[in-house]
Amino acid sequence: MNLSPRTKYMWAVELRAILQGAAGSFLFGIPLLYTVEVWAIGSATDSPRLLAVQASTFVVVLLLTQIEGFRRSLSINPIETLLESIEALGIGIFCAAIALLLLRRITLETPLSEALGKLIFEGVPFSLGVTLARSTLERRRSDQRRTLESDSTPPLPTLPALPAAALSLRSTLSSTLADIDATIIGAIVIAFSIAPTEEIAIIASALPTLWLLLIMAASLLISYIIVFASGFTDRRKRAQRGLLLSPFTETLVTYIVVLIASALMLIFFQQLSSNDPWPEWLSNIIVLGLPASVGGAAGRILA
Amino acid sequence: MGEETNSTTNVDSALNSEPIATAQKTRFSLGNTKRSSAEWVTLALSSLILLAIVGLVLYDWQVTKNLPPAFRIEMVEPARFTESHYYVPFTLRNTGGRIARTVQVTAQLHLPDGTDENGEQQFDFLSGHERKKGGFVFEHNPESGDLVIRVASFGLP
Repeated sequence: MNLSPRTKYMWAVELRAILQGAAGSFLFGIPLLYTVEVWAIGSATDSPRLLAVQASTFVVVLLLTQIEGFRRSLSINPIETLLESIEALGIGIFCAAIALLLLRRITLETPLSEALGKLIFEGVPFSLGVTLARSTLERRRSDQRRTLESDSTPPLPTLPALPAAALSLRSTLSSTLADIDATIIGAIVIAFSIAPTEEIAIIASALPTLWLLLIMAASLLISYIIVFASGFTDRRKRAQRGLLLSPFTETLVTYIVVLIASALMLIFFQQLSSNDPWPEWLSNIIVLGLPASVGGAAGRILA
Repeated sequence: MGEETNSTTNVDSALNSEPIATAQKTRFSLGNTKRSSAEWVTLALSSLILLAIVGLVLYDWQVTKNLPPAFRIEMVEPARFTESHYYVPFTLRNTGGRIARTVQVTAQLHLPDGTDENGEQQFDFLSGHERKKGGFVFEHNPESGDLVIRVASFGLP
């Protein structure tokens, strides 16, 4: 099948809109995903009430869509509001399902009623996140970014004497450091409130060892989607800032930073101690690494 | 992507009081209100997801219609002997429809010499048709005596 450039462009725009919605969905939904009470409430709710919850979510999303949305249109008519709300719910529920499967809150053994309950209750923040994606993740002014250039100039008045290559290395280094800063801040904002809770241990203890690889892969993928695939940031602008790291390398490097931050947060809250066996360290850090990398990615595009 | 500076960009910028970079205008040349076919596909898939969820909730409602919890304990796996203790695994199943909380399972092993060994285990949540696994640990061989494992109590949410 040969697609015309126009068709390709249309699909690319649509995919980007969906990925932006998904990015907002994860950012907004992940704190409630790591809440044991929400799983329990979802499991214990009967069918009529579940339908009522889904209906009220729809109403809230509908109201929000009138002023915010994951698509980039500035004006919207009433029918379009309705359609976009349906899409927001669809994307939100899809992301919530992936997240619940990933953390094994829903498995093949989970009874239908319990799975539906968890999905609908977790779908609420995930759907709201889709609608709020642009208002939470999009920077309205791209030129207001703080850079480290000015504070590296004063102590080195002989800067012009440096060769061009060294100059660009300096600016690459400083913007890479700025990115790492932003990653740590974002990771702390999202994961600091999750680190002391018992959910980390509950989720980690229920995971088969190889499943950790899946969570690592998902953390990397979601972080990549938020920063690069969703188009919240202009990649050319990042290149102009002298960022030499390729998207793939940047995603990997920041994930390592996020894992270190997760480990420090768990140690800070005494969730990990030297008495714990190393597999527990590993699983807890990786499980906390998922919300932390979502936060870190958001931090990098907002910084 | 998105560096096109067509006429819609100017219109959109005029609609919004905030200056917005041209890179943020991507509604393509189809205008502001017309949906592209890609957008219709998204809508179709989203509607399908929503309908499936609502359909499954209704189906589940029909199937489990207020059946109270009921329990069955299955002991399929044999007991194993490790480090001078006997481990007896069991599977607890809620054969009813509604969820039960704090399901208490007790085990009593009557030994031939007249003594008893007891065990107790509590499950916080057990949805309709859900299975959960657990185990009891005894010092004496359960096969040498009379072992009774049963659900003693439960709560409703």
